[in-house]
Amino acid sequence: MTGEPRIVAFLCNWCSYAGADLAGMSRISYPPNIRAIRVMCSGRVDPAFVIRAFETGADGVLVSGCHPGDCHYVSGNLKAEKRMLNTKKLLKLLGLGPERLRLEWISTAEGAKFAQVVTGFTEELRKMGLNPLKAEGNPKVSVSTKGVVSKALKKTNVQYCLECGKCSGSCPISRINEAYSPRRTVERFLLGYENKVLSGTDVWTCLTCFTCSERCPSDVRFPEFVRACRSVASKEVMEELCAHRGIPLSLSRIMTNPKIKQERMGWLPNGAEISQKSDMLYFVGCLPYFDVVFEDFNLNLLKIPQSVVKALNKVGLKPAMLSNEKCCGHDLLWTGDVENFEKLAKMNVADFKETGATRIVTACPECYRTLKKDYAERLSNFDFEVLHVSELLSELMDKGQIKFEGKLPMKVVYHDPCRLGRHMGVYAPPRKVIASIPGVEMVEMGRNRENAVCCGVNAWLSCNKYSKEVQIERLMEAKATGADLLVTACPKCQIHWKCVTSEKLPVKPEEVTMEMRDLSVLVAEAMHLT
Amino acid sequence: MFICHCGINIGGVVNVPDVVKYAMTLPNVVYSEDNLYTCSSDGLSKIKEGIGKYDLNRVIVASCTPRTHEPLFRATCEEAGVNKYLFEMANIREHCSWAHMHEPEEATEKAKDIVRMAVAKARLLKPQEEPEIEVAPSALIIGGGISGMTAALCLANQGFKVYLVEKEPELGGMLRHLHKLYPTMIDASEGLNKLVKAVKPNKNIEVWTSTVIKQVKGFIGNFDVSVQKGNGEKANFEVGTIIVATGGDVFEPVGIYGYKKYDNVITQFKLEQLLKSDQLEKPERVVMIQCTGAREEKGRTYCSRICCMTALKNALLVKELYPETDVYILFRDLQTYGKEYEDWHRMAQDRGVKFIKYALEKPPEVVAGHDGKLTVDVYHALLGEQVKIESDLVVLSTPLVQHEDAKGLSQILKVPLGPDGFFFEAHVKLRPIDFATDGIYVCGTAHSPKDTTECVSQALGVASRAAIPMAVKRLRTEAITALVEESLCSGCGTCVKICPYGAIEKDEKGVARVTAVLCKGCGTCGASCPEKAISMRHFTDEQVVAQALAALGRAIA
Amino acid sequence: MEASKSVLVIGGGIAGMQASLDLASRGLRVYLVEKTPSIGGRMAQLDKTFPTMDCSICILAPKMIECFRHPNITLLTYSEVQEVSGSAGNFTVKILKKSRFVNDEKCTGCGVCAQHCPVEVPSEFDMGVGVRKAIYVPFPQAVPLKYTVDEEHCLKCRLCQRMCQAEAVDLNRKPEVVHLNVGAIVVATGFELFDVQQRSEYGYGKYQNVLISLEFERLLSASGPTGGHLLRLSDGRIPKRIAFIQCVGSRSLKGGVSFCSSACCMYATKEAILIREHEPECEVYIFYNELKVFGKGFQDFVTRAQNHWGVKYVRALPGEVVEDSKTGDLTLWYEDTTENVTKGIKADIVVLCPALVPRTANKEVGTILGLELDEHGFFKPKDTLFAPVDTNVPGVFICGYCQSPKDIPESVAQASAAAARAAEVIALSASKEVH
Repeated sequence: MTGEPRIVAFLCNWCSYAGADLAGMSRISYPPNIRAIRVMCSGRVDPAFVIRAFETGADGVLVSGCHPGDCHYVSGNLKAEKRMLNTKKLLKLLGLGPERLRLEWISTAEGAKFAQVVTGFTEELRKMGLNPLKAEGNPKVSVSTKGVVSKALKKTNVQYCLECGKCSGSCPISRINEAYSPRRTVERFLLGYENKVLSGTDVWTCLTCFTCSERCPSDVRFPEFVRACRSVASKEVMEELCAHRGIPLSLSRIMTNPKIKQERMGWLPNGAEISQKSDMLYFVGCLPYFDVVFEDFNLNLLKIPQSVVKALNKVGLKPAMLSNEKCCGHDLLWTGDVENFEKLAKMNVADFKETGATRIVTACPECYRTLKKDYAERLSNFDFEVLHVSELLSELMDKGQIKFEGKLPMKVVYHDPCRLGRHMGVYAPPRKVIASIPGVEMVEMGRNRENAVCCGVNAWLSCNKYSKEVQIERLMEAKATGADLLVTACPKCQIHWKCVTSEKLPVKPEEVTMEMRDLSVLVAEAMHLT
Repeated sequence: MFICHCGINIGGVVNVPDVVKYAMTLPNVVYSEDNLYTCSSDGLSKIKEGIGKYDLNRVIVASCTPRTHEPLFRATCEEAGVNKYLFEMANIREHCSWAHMHEPEEATEKAKDIVRMAVAKARLLKPQEEPEIEVAPSALIIGGGISGMTAALCLANQGFKVYLVEKEPELGGMLRHLHKLYPTMIDASEGLNKLVKAVKPNKNIEVWTSTVIKQVKGFIGNFDVSVQKGNGEKANFEVGTIIVATGGDVFEPVGIYGYKKYDNVITQFKLEQLLKSDQLEKPERVVMIQCTGAREEKGRTYCSRICCMTALKNALLVKELYPETDVYILFRDLQTYGKEYEDWHRMAQDRGVKFIKYALEKPPEVVAGHDGKLTVDVYHALLGEQVKIESDLVVLSTPLVQHEDAKGLSQILKVPLGPDGFFFEAHVKLRPIDFATDGIYVCGTAHSPKDTTECVSQALGVASRAAIPMAVKRLRTEAITALVEESLCSGCGTCVKICPYGAIEKDEKGVARVTAVLCKGCGTCGASCPEKAISMRHFTDEQVVAQALAALGRAIA
Repeated sequence: MEASKSVLVIGGGIAGMQASLDLASRGLRVYLVEKTPSIGGRMAQLDKTFPTMDCSICILAPKMIECFRHPNITLLTYSEVQEVSGSAGNFTVKILKKSRFVNDEKCTGCGVCAQHCPVEVPSEFDMGVGVRKAIYVPFPQAVPLKYTVDEEHCLKCRLCQRMCQAEAVDLNRKPEVVHLNVGAIVVATGFELFDVQQRSEYGYGKYQNVLISLEFERLLSASGPTGGHLLRLSDGRIPKRIAFIQCVGSRSLKGGVSFCSSACCMYATKEAILIREHEPECEVYIFYNELKVFGKGFQDFVTRAQNHWGVKYVRALPGEVVEDSKTGDLTLWYEDTTENVTKGIKADIVVLCPALVPRTANKEVGTILGLELDEHGFFKPKDTLFAPVDTNVPGVFICGYCQSPKDIPESVAQASAAAARAAEVIALSASKEVH
């Protein structure tokens, strides 16, 4: 693609914006490719703005503030620095190149510097080429809204609701948020008040944890109904409710561009053996990105894929991996963005086929459900066997291929992730795996298996005070078992729980703080691979 | 006197030999022995032996509760030539040894007392007869609807003569007015015709239409029924049993929800007629209101059972006729009980019928606009908000109620009506289709509102109940009955009012007379007679008092 | 062959007994087969019956004794039908009389054997809440009052044999095969309870203080394992609040059966009133979805329960029951529609009302008799509207719960209906012969 690069700049009011003004006043010329946005402080610049800009087609982003020490707001610029360094990592992963994001300190007096920076940046961008992810043309997302709700009412059995209230009695959010009631939401739809509901927050509040649908005597699949409605519900309302300013969803959407060439294999440990073609494919998921976005949590999420690969190698398996793996699309699908989900799905499946794999293993329950169920239902050519890592480990254990070294003497409590448990019915394999580790004593929370309580957040939506209450209660439940370690098979659960325990707690830290580990990491430890 | 050890159940606590000895000290006791198990064949032969050897004319067995073996011992006495009512039991097991297992001395003393009480009564016992009556093998069935006709056919097929009396000019009852019958959705007229076709030519069934019951005299096996036809013709039947199958009426909710005020507010029954005669014009939006005039706080407090299914049935029929018509059902609790009625709820949901639950405390309001269109304003109990529904046809589901003329019939037959107006059975749980009065039975909506299949079940049920006395042809009636001493009777009528079985009447002389065959021997008349004119056979005042005195240690006179 | 003037009745509950009595009273011979050691069925397990609040066994026992004493009724308890051949008017039936290991002609029902038996096992009659011995009668008013040895748990210590003064215990006694010729057959096999452990969110089987209704009924019964004292099983405490959960497994498209069991709203009301009678300080909540008050006297019964007895009805099925493992106290989570909030309410005991389902054994009975069953396991009536007690096999009739969900009065009336039809068939076969 040819054309001039377009730079979006965020300039702080007190220094950099004034500096740009000075450049103009002094009649210093610079290329006209830049578009400036005034912010009060460079610390105002949200990484989401930057990602959004690139998603929308910016070729370069400039963030400029006062020199360190001179920030009008004390240290806003230092925060900007930290954030932009973090954002560069994301850009690197995306294959966009961290160079497309420039962070500069330009003071009020540095009009010339401003012009210099802009000229240099523009030149660089001309050399780099335009943003490969710029969308061709300006496609409008056109979703046929007609009949979506009435079709969904029938397909998900909502029309058979008996108003018994079991859903509201089961919903973890309904318990805390007085205004939210699945039963009443259904009733409103049945009475024809759909416009009101679709323009409100209720349709985004559902955690889609499947607790209600698991128990509903009329087999009303409320979360699937909500999902269908989200495709025609108010996107503005959703934006307001989205946590982390929608960064994860932006990243997923960026990946729909076929030109994307990610650099996402840096976590692969030395000596790891993978193949281009193999019977088995290991699908990593968005862990490399989460690792950056949630840097501050020190969760070391990349240990998960490292553990998986090491374990697979140890038993002689050399899995294929996609160096340009796209997000499975789970979050897009569950927030109603069906079109982009389907784009991701098609691209992934084409890549799967290239590897010659017949089996796909993943350590993320959301990827697991999405590949095994949603890809299979919506694509005509999906004939892969999909396994969660716990199922694969269980299978390998049956063949006697997993050897644990030494003992891990600890009490372990296992949490069933919604997508693995209620969505897909996988309860036994993780337990079997954990219980087989020598020295491990397994305990169960009162609410386990199909009665496990969701970690409180769905697709980055509805993260609010209600989720926090749910999370704290669940952690206290885990803690009360007396276990030393809380094991879960879902990285997102870990992220959400770590998030709540890093905040100001309404209870004493010792009541909720627990050591957490992912199942794969625990297994690798027990195999002495890490 | 035969005193039982009952293994160690009695003997292990009570000193039985002691009691045997004690019994011999009591007046009139000429023989006393103990048995290991009096109820065993061995023990029974001992009784017969004893009766023969010692010429006993009263027998007492001191053992377990009479509720288990009294009939057995009575039969044994009869076999040995002693009238069964000259037999008495002393309960020294359930009431003694089992209740005082750790106090053997007290138990033994108590056993002696119990035996003494039995002796006190036994001395005063008189032989009793169980009179036999003949039962005419014919039945009167009042009401020629589905229940009456079903019962008639079943009895006729068993060889009994049936008089089927119907007050309307033709048979069929409610079936004549119904459109389709749930759950099989056959035409009501089809079902009706099949039944009538079977009834009319049946040689054992005599059909009397346009006929009402004028008078019923007599008792089970021997009812004397007087009827009158519309044209004045009178007739008399002698029947052995009577079946009440008079059905019910549909309640007209005048003054409720604008009924009779607005033209487009009709009853569910009327909707049924419109559908049947193909006269329902396309409505835009139908709103059905359940529990209209039913399940009220006072008055018609009952649930009429069939209205929810009828509403669902008609809602589906309307949707079938006019798929674009909106149908709302405003309900309180959806009575979709049984094996398949829940499926109908789902069928209706499938077809887009909307359901709104309202509560008793906040019933809907129906108001008419200037254009004649109605608005139904209802408080949605679940959403907690008012819902306004515009409608051009409001259908009120009203309950089935008892006929106006039922009071008259209940008095003619001397059978009661319950608090909900329907006929009141002998026992709500275990005798649902019998009346307390022997020989009269009830089935169908006359008992309580019910649908087709339930009417048929009950109708077949009464056919079985009525067939029993008619098949056996003779009935032994209770010996333990009340006896009025005419000379003492002052004609106050207390006993007449108080008898639950209608067994006492005042005769031509104004004196109370007990129809023994109807008397069950409960004794409530005897207890209330101010003149002590009534004595209860086998439970006379003297016998009961004697037991009481003996219990208190007073020597038997 | 001469048409038989006798009827086989399969099932000794209230429906089977009523059909037997009707037929016997009109002179037909009846063989009443019951697979447990005593007739009586479910009614014997109840404390009181709705809506009259009669003592169940008190109104049932006279009927049981009548069945026992009636010269025309032969009781074949602890027996099962194995084969049936022939047709209406002339069925040949093979019945297996299982061995009680007790000579029932000698046994007097005195109970000394059970007193000395060293083995205690959960009592089926008490729904596992109480115990019985390995030699036992299922309940004290059992008819016939003959003891039975539970072969599975018997230690063969022979203590019972030594203590029996009537020399009735015979551990070598063999089962007997009986061949009968009958003119008609009435099936009245009743119901069993849905396995509520499937609904794991309510914790039955996990939490000691979550019970099913029939277990709770046994606790309430004066003749039950606690003598009618209302106590918590976990700690013997007197409860201060009891909650009922309706429709567990009923009216479900998933995880249960689709039909309404038709008696639970009422029997829960009954148990609620019993609780209020026993313990006036104890609060009672009934969590329901639709209140089925369609029967005679039902609505008045519920109104009385609400107004006079203060039973609280809440229109919400709880989402789950959680236990405080330290105290055994339970919390139910439900949506309160008057306040429009989802909240938790504590309860000392939670009683689940399970779906009442046709017996799994119905399949076998159906095979033996050639009867069609529907998808739930109910026997199919020939014509739901006009021939509700007839089946696809002429001469075989059905009544009671095995035909469709119903309560006691409807079962009794339908039992009489089946008797009428059986009598009709026999009369018809007899008259055919005459011609």
